[in-house]
Amino acid sequence: MITFGDGNLRVPKLSRRVFLVGAGMTDFRKFYPAKQSSELCLEAMKMAVERLRISPHEFRQRVNYAVYPQFADHFGDQLLAEAKIHDYLGFDPIGNVGVKTGGATGGTGANTAIMAVASGYASCVPVVGWERMDEVDTRQGNAYIAGAACKDFESNLGWSYTTYYALMMRRYLEENHPNRETLAKIAQKNHGYARFSPFSQIPGDYTIEEILSAKVVSDPLTFPECCAMSVGATALIFCDEETAFHLTDHPVEVTGIGAGSHTLRTADRRNMPILLLPNETEETYKGRDLDWPGFTSFLAARFAARQAYLMAGIKDPVEELDLAETHDAFTVSDIQTYEDVGFRPYGRGAEFVESGDAYLGGRLPTNLSGGLIGSMHSVGATGLFQLAEIFWQVRGEWNEVHGDEKLWQKYGKIKPPVWQCLQVPDARRGMAISHAGTGSHVTSIILERR
Amino acid sequence: MKKTTKERQKVALLSRRKVVLAENLFREVVPSDVIVRENPRTVTHRHTYGGLSKFFLQLTARKLYGTKCRSTSCAHTGIWLPPRVHCPDCWEKMCWVEIDTSGAKVYTHSMTNLPGAGFMLSTPCPLISVEIPGVCTKFMSYLSKFGEGEPYIGMPVKPVFRTRRPTYTILDVSWVPNE
Repeated sequence: MITFGDGNLRVPKLSRRVFLVGAGMTDFRKFYPAKQSSELCLEAMKMAVERLRISPHEFRQRVNYAVYPQFADHFGDQLLAEAKIHDYLGFDPIGNVGVKTGGATGGTGANTAIMAVASGYASCVPVVGWERMDEVDTRQGNAYIAGAACKDFESNLGWSYTTYYALMMRRYLEENHPNRETLAKIAQKNHGYARFSPFSQIPGDYTIEEILSAKVVSDPLTFPECCAMSVGATALIFCDEETAFHLTDHPVEVTGIGAGSHTLRTADRRNMPILLLPNETEETYKGRDLDWPGFTSFLAARFAARQAYLMAGIKDPVEELDLAETHDAFTVSDIQTYEDVGFRPYGRGAEFVESGDAYLGGRLPTNLSGGLIGSMHSVGATGLFQLAEIFWQVRGEWNEVHGDEKLWQKYGKIKPPVWQCLQVPDARRGMAISHAGTGSHVTSIILERR
Repeated sequence: MKKTTKERQKVALLSRRKVVLAENLFREVVPSDVIVRENPRTVTHRHTYGGLSKFFLQLTARKLYGTKCRSTSCAHTGIWLPPRVHCPDCWEKMCWVEIDTSGAKVYTHSMTNLPGAGFMLSTPCPLISVEIPGVCTKFMSYLSKFGEGEPYIGMPVKPVFRTRRPTYTILDVSWVPNE
């Protein structure tokens, strides 16, 4: 059992205010032979800077540190790729760092930039994340990803993360008895919202029957319940207060951050008492006799969310957040995360979907971006993509960006004639959860309009 | 001044493998103005099991070994399976113990239909996590013999071992129904 000391449970604090001032991305595709990773990263960076209405020359003169999240050197087949990207963007000789924490690489990259600014080390930090997942076929891609499971005791058993999540799903169904359809509704929702994003890779208008009767990857997970494997990039710009207000009239403040971890092997998670969130008490779980975290919960997600909530002063996330982006790698991991981050108590994650809370118009719309299931999982970019979408939402710019016909044309797509604006009315505060492995690393970042 | 010669050496391209430019990617045609070159690869890594070697050696002797911390400063008493050489709580070396699998049962399971590249077992393959009394972890493995409706949560299982031509991987142990 893990026991906590005061140092472990300390609430993180930023030494000075940190702001997100700009975001840009490419579209996301299964394969992208027309562009190299460096070209994609430049496009994403350029979009973020263009929207600040300053020139690349002016921007480059302000940069004093840079962060490059990329999940796996295996995929892009270029060690120290961050040096190539940094050079390609003309940032030399400014210091930079490559960041890797599996699926949470993007979130950790953002946290790294936030800490660099908060410490006073830097005042203007671009974070550019990408993944190039099309050099190998999908089976090999799955094997590369499963190389981020324990190679001695897990990888040979499937060479596929879908299998590792399927084990969790079977246990979740056994312990909590959600309707199987509720899990499929998460896939339906996220493929559905992806239809209104020019960036998305797998938009789709699925019926629940279609999702449940689709080909099974690893029982019980079907194809539409699993995330995309993508090529693409996202860029964010974090600044101190002075630089932020110089670059834009509407910077978005980072009001909470957190990071958690847990054993790479799901199997190694010893039972322990539930770590409580601000909206829970011992009474919440009185009489509960199930394992925790077991195979159905992520201690890392709970730990990260707890830190961010305490830092941001949030007690009830469903009431106090206006939108969220979760790491919906699989339908089951999404429902598990709702519970870990306190959208519902443990065992009741299905209610978050069935109540309508998770949808646009509900109390806490989640993954309006289309998420990993509908839009993208270009791993190093994913956590940044989530933050970019929240950034545009809390600035009231969702429609301006996603509804831009020229952007659809640029990506060779046609804007759907039946259009739905996914802007959350008067959105002010949002949270992004970035997640690795079967919960080996999780970050939580809360952005707030000022 | 050093005397130079007019005869110059040439540098040649050696052992040239056949060059393949991909015409298709994911069943779609590569644009004609883009070069996509195939870079094939075969490499051998020499991976040590280090202090965990005993675990893999004992599998070939039909024994399942875990580790247990006997440090007096450590309150934790469960057996680790997969084993670890060191206790994560006190960082002392743990002791090897043979696992009593008589009460082993399936904790959770999945039928793998579409594994990733390099998977060495036939499909469909039932992956299982095994719950064993006294063990503080759940052991990931596979059911190497199964019938209709198997595996199921709570199913009693017993380990079997690949002693002839072992792979020296985790695939050397699997489980069968314990009836």
